[in-house]
Amino acid sequence: MMGRIRVIPRGFAGPGVRFGVPFGALIVALLLGAIILAIAGNDPFEAYSTMFDASLNGWSSITRTLALATPLILTGLAAAVAFQMRVYNIGGEGQLYLGAIAASYVGLALPATTPIVLMLGAMLLAGATAGALWALLAAVPKAYFNADEIITTLMLNFVALSLMNWLIFGSRSFWRDPRRPVPSGKRLPENAVLPSLSGRMHVGIIIAVVAAILLWWLLRKTSWGFQIRTIGDSPRAARYAGMGVRSKTMAVLALSGALAAMAGFSEVSGVTKGLEPVALTSNIGFTGIIIAVVARNNPLGVVPVSVFLAAITTSGSRLQGIGINVQVVLLLQGLIFLTVTAGEFFVMNRISLSPSNVTEAADGTPPSANEIAEATA
Amino acid sequence: MNDSVLILSIASAIVAATPILFAALGEIITNRSGVMNLGIEGMMLMGGVIGFWAGNNTGSLTIALIAGGLGGVSLALIHAVLAVTLRVDQTVSGLSLVIVGSGLSSFIGTSGEPSLLSARNGVEVTSLFPSALRDLPGVGPILFGHDIVVYTGVLAVIGATYVLNRTPRGLALRAVGEDPAAADAAGISVVRMRYIATAIGGFGAGVGGAYLTVAIVGTWQNGLTAGIGWIAVALVILAGWRPWLALFGALAFGGLNGLGFTLQLAQVNVPSDFLKMMPFIAAYLVVILVSASPNRARRLAAPAALAQPYSREDR
Amino acid sequence: MAGESTRLEVRNLTKLFYGVPAIDSVDFDLRGGEIHGLLGENGAGKSTLCSVLSGLYKPDSGTVSLNGHDVAFRSPLDASNHGIGMVYQHFRLVDSFTVAQNIVLGLPKDQRPRSMRQVQSMVRDLAEEFGLHVDPSASIWQLSVGEQQRVEILKQLFRGAKILILDEPTAVLAAQETDRLFEAVSTMVDKGHGVVLVSHKMAETMEYTDRITVLRRGKNAGSIETRDTTPTQVARMMFGDSNAAERTTFDTAHEIGEPVLSLSGVSVMGDHGLHAVDDASFVVRRGQVVGVAGVAGNGQRELQEAIAGLRPLVGGSITIADTDCTNAGPKATMRAGLAYVPEDRLGVGLAPGLPLEHNIALKSYDRAPYSRRGVLSEGEIEKTMNQLVEDFDVRGNRPGMRVSLMSGGNLQKAILARELNEDHEVLLAAAPTRGLDMAAAEAIRSHIVDERSDQRGVLVFSEDLDEIVHMSDVIIVMFKGHIVGSFERDELDLDLIGLLMTGSGVTRQDTVVSDEVPTDS
Repeated sequence: MMGRIRVIPRGFAGPGVRFGVPFGALIVALLLGAIILAIAGNDPFEAYSTMFDASLNGWSSITRTLALATPLILTGLAAAVAFQMRVYNIGGEGQLYLGAIAASYVGLALPATTPIVLMLGAMLLAGATAGALWALLAAVPKAYFNADEIITTLMLNFVALSLMNWLIFGSRSFWRDPRRPVPSGKRLPENAVLPSLSGRMHVGIIIAVVAAILLWWLLRKTSWGFQIRTIGDSPRAARYAGMGVRSKTMAVLALSGALAAMAGFSEVSGVTKGLEPVALTSNIGFTGIIIAVVARNNPLGVVPVSVFLAAITTSGSRLQGIGINVQVVLLLQGLIFLTVTAGEFFVMNRISLSPSNVTEAADGTPPSANEIAEATA
Repeated sequence: MNDSVLILSIASAIVAATPILFAALGEIITNRSGVMNLGIEGMMLMGGVIGFWAGNNTGSLTIALIAGGLGGVSLALIHAVLAVTLRVDQTVSGLSLVIVGSGLSSFIGTSGEPSLLSARNGVEVTSLFPSALRDLPGVGPILFGHDIVVYTGVLAVIGATYVLNRTPRGLALRAVGEDPAAADAAGISVVRMRYIATAIGGFGAGVGGAYLTVAIVGTWQNGLTAGIGWIAVALVILAGWRPWLALFGALAFGGLNGLGFTLQLAQVNVPSDFLKMMPFIAAYLVVILVSASPNRARRLAAPAALAQPYSREDR
Repeated sequence: MAGESTRLEVRNLTKLFYGVPAIDSVDFDLRGGEIHGLLGENGAGKSTLCSVLSGLYKPDSGTVSLNGHDVAFRSPLDASNHGIGMVYQHFRLVDSFTVAQNIVLGLPKDQRPRSMRQVQSMVRDLAEEFGLHVDPSASIWQLSVGEQQRVEILKQLFRGAKILILDEPTAVLAAQETDRLFEAVSTMVDKGHGVVLVSHKMAETMEYTDRITVLRRGKNAGSIETRDTTPTQVARMMFGDSNAAERTTFDTAHEIGEPVLSLSGVSVMGDHGLHAVDDASFVVRRGQVVGVAGVAGNGQRELQEAIAGLRPLVGGSITIADTDCTNAGPKATMRAGLAYVPEDRLGVGLAPGLPLEHNIALKSYDRAPYSRRGVLSEGEIEKTMNQLVEDFDVRGNRPGMRVSLMSGGNLQKAILARELNEDHEVLLAAAPTRGLDMAAAEAIRSHIVDERSDQRGVLVFSEDLDEIVHMSDVIIVMFKGHIVGSFERDELDLDLIGLLMTGSGVTRQDTVVSDEVPTDS
């Protein structure tokens, strides 16, 4: 059979393993990317150094990277909080669109003279609420009927996308700018725009980082977070402890939706300054899932991972300038996701090459837990 | 005028349904073995770009489709390793393959001088039946106007139904998806079944993507499939994991694509964006309905062990 | 009349797990045409012996011979090809498939019938022949448990099994189904098949078997013709001699107060649609330890879950410290004063992937001192944990380590520590010392007994009769979901208790029990 290779579940994953394995996975991903680039006739070193230069070398590069990191942090947090409880919110994309729709509505509906803080606050609130409600469309069936949230949130993505497209491309809606022949969104008034901090970087980054810190505090330091972590680890133990699994499921999904929607608010208010479907559909929601997986659902970890992924993504246009296939960016994202996912196996298990001293079944079946209990009782 | 528009709509719906059908059939096989493969969209894209490239270089439809299928298989095998052997979370694994598939296919598509983006289609797709049959009024275009791949799709539905329900292999496959412990106890190799089923799923998705690129669209664009892979995933659930229902569902989706134009010509104004929403709203409602009612759940039930990794120690 | 050809002989069979023998130099033999009962407590080695016979395990030493030839099975399929079939307690049937499909599943190509129709008619013939009537085209989920069991048996007969091992077949059956099962079994035996009946029910074993072999702690404890023995003798073989005299004297001079846990007419459904607990009534008083004796699988788990609020009652009521807790849910039950140490330590009692600090606070995370106004007081939690680790001698914990890495004994101490540390009036402890070494077990037992001095009540479930006897002021016996006996400490009759645990004797404590073969209760 398998010979001497044994897979042993790892009971204790120290920080060396928890950081080392994802980090190692990232290296492997970069190596795989380099190989593919080389096969395609490009110089990997040139590619990677250009990427570094475009994203992290110099203040303008850094601000551009941070600008892209802003919504990524938020969608990363959205995925992280849900995945922490083993609830799979794949609907970050759709919730982001809903957030953008609601926030831009408020921004356009309120009088343009509304003080900026009030205006932005209202937009944020509206966006978050819209995202939470959109997520509840999947959360309630999950809580009450155990309806698969993967499918429901995913389907709602497409519904939200079509809705947003319709608002701008398919109709003369409130959001659409009637003056321009090419379909595009109305420009938000000055007071509805998140102020720029430097270059493309805007106040949204502060909101995102604050959100990360708050979420970390919520999960690690409060009794609510205690319940979430317990349910994520063992729903049966949670039940035994009297924790309300149903209400937590809905709460977590609503929170997740709200966070993703805040990314929509951030983009619509800080970057596109109006509801522009094309600019908003750049996979920010899905990338958030990658970020959460790489950061192993740790809200604080989401921030640097988001910056890393943003760095990879922003350098795209510069690569094109030197003749390197810009799609390598998307490819690298995928490879990172893949290697980190595979790497999870090595966080949970270790490989041992020594022969075991437990006798197995005739066909290699190890004894079941019951049998061991019986034998050692 | 109305008649021919209707006929043309139905005929084009059949063609448009074919890529979805192949992907859905593959996913049905995969799901029935207990593996959830969310990576179909990525596998269709891989199939599309590789099929297009192969078609360009050989001019043969068959080779293009098989190459596309193999492209899908390559990604599917990665998913199998992650999901079956390493037993990682199948949702995450599938999603990662969507992104890898998108990235890799886009990368291949824009590589080289000249890239595939500007290439013209090397494959010529011909109708299978002679024009005498094709030109029959009414049924002609609908029944006889298609290429061999469309008819192969229908044959695949018949074949899949037969294999799943009437052969011992099919029974073993379904057992692995319903109750892997029982299947294991009966001497069936759960791991081998799941690998094969996942590979078949990748093949189906790859063929679907290749057909879409080569026979329908005719050029390569990055991200060509535009969500069709996700529709296939939803379709499999809507169809209750049954091949014939998947066929009708695929036709429905195919029809919805053309429905927009038909309605416009008939001067019924339904915004196309809302038409695009329909399949997804339908899938959403069906999932909820199925979960909410225990009885109906029996009939439309998912394979009981779907997306649950299996290991003998966990008896 | 014994079959001519079928003969199974096991000599000196030993099987080790992690260096510990599950069965040790065991002898066993089976003749065609006989029903051979295999009795023993849980952990006695019955399952392991059967697993070896059915090809699941390879023995470490000893021989198995079939019809005079030594055999070594490489797999269950190999054993099946040699004519040995096993029917497990937990069926391996695919719910959504039909009977015929399940029977034919996994058959090698050369044994496959030509069509499903042929399968159906073959199944019908078999069913007819052995009296195991079942509709081949019915789906498994539509069948009753008894019918499902028939399918499992037919599966083996279909593959030509001449020797059948039935593992606790009547555990999930109602009375009439049991009769029908044994009718089928006698038909099999009349046709020359050999049947091993694994059980711990005295009545059916005495009534239906030709011979009985008893295992105790992995070794042979006796092998005898059924007609030559009595229930008492068999019970003594199973549970050992009464060593009542060796009871460590506990301080009996303590006050027994008012009831702190009362069950009245409690009925609870099991997972298979049958009542797991039926009309159970008893009382635990302050200062009192009540021990529930019984072989596992007679409703203990369901009763514990019902008391803890994790499983609904379908009848009766439960009162904890003057608060009605009938169907009140786990949180209310906790607040009323119940501390619960469940049997499933890592699945229910603890969150296995989380560290010890987290698990210490598992139940009172939302109250002082573990949290204030919603915010966790990590310092307090850590302080409490360190205190408890010291007081209860919990070893093997490292900061941040997931608790699943701790040994069984330390896990148990940890859970007990947590539960005893909370405010509570009554302690419910299930299998508290299972899997523990002597020192740890003794420590746990003394903590439990200390509860009495604090005027709390304790309800203990254990399969280890010795332990129950050592710890309890009152012993009640559970069998098939009923409370079949209740004994004060000074009126213990271990033989009687053994009989009651296996279903013999009568159901109320004050009626005389007979030593003759009783009718099924």
